Amino acid sequence: MVLPLVIAVLAVAASSTPLLDRVLGRAAGWPLAAVFAVLFGVVAAQAPLVLAGGVVEFSRPWMPAIGVGFHLVLDATAWLFCMLVLGVGALVMAYSARYFPSGSRTGFYLLMTAFAAAMLGLVLADDVVLLFVFWELTTICSFYLIGLSGPAAHRPAVRTFLLTALGGLALLTAAVLLMVRTGTSRVSTILTDTTWTTDPVFTSVVALLLVVAVFTKSAQFPFHYWLPDAMAASTPVSAYLHAAAMVKAGIYVLMRFSPAFGSVPVWNAMLIGFGLLTAVIGALFALRRHDLKELLAYSTVSQLGFLVAVIGVGTPAALAAAAVHTLAHALFKAALFMLVGVIDTHNGTRDIRELRGLRGRMPVTAALTVLAAASMAGIPPLLGFVSKESVFAALLDAPGAAWTGVAAAAVAVAAAGLTVAYAVRIVLGAFGGPTGQGPREEPSAAFLSAPALAALGGLGLGLAAPLLSPVVDRVAEDSTHRRVASDLALWHGFTPELLMSALAVSIGAFLAWRGAHVHRLLSRRPLPVAGITVFEALHRGVIASGVRVGAITRTDSPGAHLAVPLVVVGVLAAAVLSSAPVLPPLPSAATRPLDWLLVALTVVSVAGAVTRASRLAALVLVGAAGFTVALWFFFLGAFDVALTQLLVEVLTVVVAVLVLRRLPRRFHPVSRGRKGIAALIALVAGVSAALAAYALTGRRDISTAAQYFLDEAENETGGTNVVNTILVDFRALDTLGELTVLGVAGLVIISVLNSSGLTPGRLPSTVRSFTGTAVHPAGDNSLLVRTVGRLLIPLLVIWSVYLLLRGHNEPGGGFISALVGGSGFALAYLMAPDAARAPVRWPYPLLIAVGILIAVATGFAGYADGSFLRPLHADIWLPGGGFHFTTALVFDVGVYLAVVGVLLTALNRLGTEDDIVPGPQADLLPSAPSQAASETAAPTDPVTGGTR
Amino acid sequence: MTLAICIGVLVAGGVYLMLQRGMVRIVLGFVLLGHAVNLLLMAAGGTARRDQPLMDLVSPRTAADPLPQAFVLTAIVIAFAITVYMLTLAATGGGDDTEDAS
Repeated sequence: MVLPLVIAVLAVAASSTPLLDRVLGRAAGWPLAAVFAVLFGVVAAQAPLVLAGGVVEFSRPWMPAIGVGFHLVLDATAWLFCMLVLGVGALVMAYSARYFPSGSRTGFYLLMTAFAAAMLGLVLADDVVLLFVFWELTTICSFYLIGLSGPAAHRPAVRTFLLTALGGLALLTAAVLLMVRTGTSRVSTILTDTTWTTDPVFTSVVALLLVVAVFTKSAQFPFHYWLPDAMAASTPVSAYLHAAAMVKAGIYVLMRFSPAFGSVPVWNAMLIGFGLLTAVIGALFALRRHDLKELLAYSTVSQLGFLVAVIGVGTPAALAAAAVHTLAHALFKAALFMLVGVIDTHNGTRDIRELRGLRGRMPVTAALTVLAAASMAGIPPLLGFVSKESVFAALLDAPGAAWTGVAAAAVAVAAAGLTVAYAVRIVLGAFGGPTGQGPREEPSAAFLSAPALAALGGLGLGLAAPLLSPVVDRVAEDSTHRRVASDLALWHGFTPELLMSALAVSIGAFLAWRGAHVHRLLSRRPLPVAGITVFEALHRGVIASGVRVGAITRTDSPGAHLAVPLVVVGVLAAAVLSSAPVLPPLPSAATRPLDWLLVALTVVSVAGAVTRASRLAALVLVGAAGFTVALWFFFLGAFDVALTQLLVEVLTVVVAVLVLRRLPRRFHPVSRGRKGIAALIALVAGVSAALAAYALTGRRDISTAAQYFLDEAENETGGTNVVNTILVDFRALDTLGELTVLGVAGLVIISVLNSSGLTPGRLPSTVRSFTGTAVHPAGDNSLLVRTVGRLLIPLLVIWSVYLLLRGHNEPGGGFISALVGGSGFALAYLMAPDAARAPVRWPYPLLIAVGILIAVATGFAGYADGSFLRPLHADIWLPGGGFHFTTALVFDVGVYLAVVGVLLTALNRLGTEDDIVPGPQADLLPSAPSQAASETAAPTDPVTGGTR
Repeated sequence: MTLAICIGVLVAGGVYLMLQRGMVRIVLGFVLLGHAVNLLLMAAGGTARRDQPLMDLVSPRTAADPLPQAFVLTAIVIAFAITVYMLTLAATGGGDDTEDAS
């Protein structure tokens, strides 16, 4: 339980950061550092178990259908990385409490803590899918943390994100391949699979994918450039993510998968080759930089190169060396980043050309920097010396021909020499030169405590190096499945490693002595291309090619888009026809004589609708087609559906008229050619649809599912209206989904109208010409409908409630009753003397929300009987007989409210007349140009008529 | 047969309207196409059995297929909401629909 608990505590801490931040501001770093420290202690307490070879496990099913689980395992490797993440995290959090100017830092603390949780999940995950999820979470946190630094950091954030996400895709591909091949997603099972010894091709492919993922995450050549680019982030972010934790995720994955791939040639070659190349390139770049932070970024690239190369060797000793160097690097690099942050905040710059003689003014800072830089350079008695010696020793054992080990070690010595040179450059650049006369301005102890702990940790662990041996031995055993007894110590006698260390320090000292020459030499030949330039060119190229591909099919005409699927349908129909399928016979009772009446009605109304040029006429004829369809439903025995169709048809016409009055009266003319093409496509689609309907439907008996509903509905639900029981009992989840779509449509209508507004309405000049006559006043003319409506509306509302209550047994139910009620509202709207006094002003968005909430709440109530949306039943005794109550009725009430809410939305938002002004309507009365001009010339004419 | 003819006519009319200029005709075409699809769903349940599926009135042997009826019922209401939404779009902003033809 301890493993998920640690992650959960971090997650809770992350979610409490807004509160902490409000109370404490930047000082929220202190309590967070305390949380990290406590968790550090909790994990440290597992040491006796883990170092004895035991593991702490946690396992819960997550996606059982595909065998993916929430499996966590704490072995020695995971333990080491957990200690790093939590320990450095505590230091960085404490540091942040002083680093930032006072004020709110919500996003920073939230993301840093969330990142720590993700990073812990990553190193604890024993499931490749889980590993991938946490891997991506760290990428996302890094993206946002870089982006926090302001507009200048946005582009670097995007570049970093895209590149590391690319690596994430490689990891995902590897995870999928692993799962498909080994049949499990458990990392520990995958690593012991026999595939790795029997199928070299598959093994190499997976190894390559993992290598690509790791190279992007851990900034190896040719992806190294993102790390300096990410220095746009604030210093605590750089110290934590881009030195100690996130970039180590790649190192962790390499160590984790070493048992399977440690002796695969492509793995060895790629890691050693690119690792050493990166170590050299990173160090060379570091020597050229003036910005201390950028210098450190290249230094991190270089050190990660060392780590990758030594893991590539694959021997237990090499993995032990990688473990100890990971620890050493986290300590000295986090310390150096934090110290550079101190220098930066106190001097306003971190450019070594502008910093002079700080040793006089900041002696403690200077001493700590020297300590950390010396560890990086590999000077005894610091931990960096111990780790670099073991790296040298391990590289000598590189697999392959005898010379490879020597060559690898030689390159490593050269890179280490460069490391010494840039370590000197950091110290001399910041603190060397003539000391000024300025006063001492040492930062507060609180500010320096975190970097001091990290730097002194490097010293302490260096002196106590033998204590680390059991840890790194166990890590090496985890990652090679072979035992090793490494002997970490400052003094091993006169060994090749000692000679190499001495050589590296000498090279570094020489380069530092000839610093000016070296710098001139390096600045003379910059690399032909910069990584960022290549990335931006590729990025632009991808976008441009996307635009080109899109342009092939791009068009502004909706018709062109809509025609494509229709033509495809025609082609499909032709293909089916050409295969001449043999059809089962049609039941004799399928067609009845009266049906032909409906065919006639359909033909007439549709023919009219497509030929009319008047919008209103077309609308009315489409409505006629709708009524015909409602008749069809009656004929087919679907009374509920027919009622729904009828009501919807009425309401559609009402709403459509509200919209149409704002639009021109006639459709735009369409060219004869376009009409011809449209008619042809329409003909093909229509014939295809008719043939398909004729040939492919109704040629079998009723389906078993349908027969089940007919036979069992009453027993199962207590309702006799089978259609309604399907809606609210059997398939209530579908209905809930449809209800949500309905509600969303209502809300979208509101937001569209809020954002762009309706086209200003215009009063047709025909209406204005009636101004002053008896025909015009809306109040008088609606007398009849108001008289009838006053009686009708209460009846409609009562009837709708009655329909709602009886829906389970007879035609009715939520949809129909809501539409009946909605018709009442529509009538109330139509008979109002003007739009401003339209009576129903209920909070319609609230109605929609309440409706959906009631439906969802009913669903949760269903858990009382075992599952979501299962209806509960109760017989209630009422005077005059028992009443069978079911929560399906409550569900139907939710449906009712949501549908009414959408209807009121349409009536209130589309029915507004606030913006209707009299204006010219050229297509109504072909007026003389002079008249039109005079009308437009006097737009301020007072509103004399209209429906007001 | 009769139902198939009606479906074909509605599809042809709907497609023709959708291929014209302007949002309103596309909306009207969409409505017709919606009718056609709803009828097609009903056709899938068969047209031979036409008794309404109210179990206190008819026998389970002759009642019509209730499943497509339930589908179509919700489909009608959703199509209504989408139609209103598309009509709203037709009446916002400027373009073919909101400007006079001349």
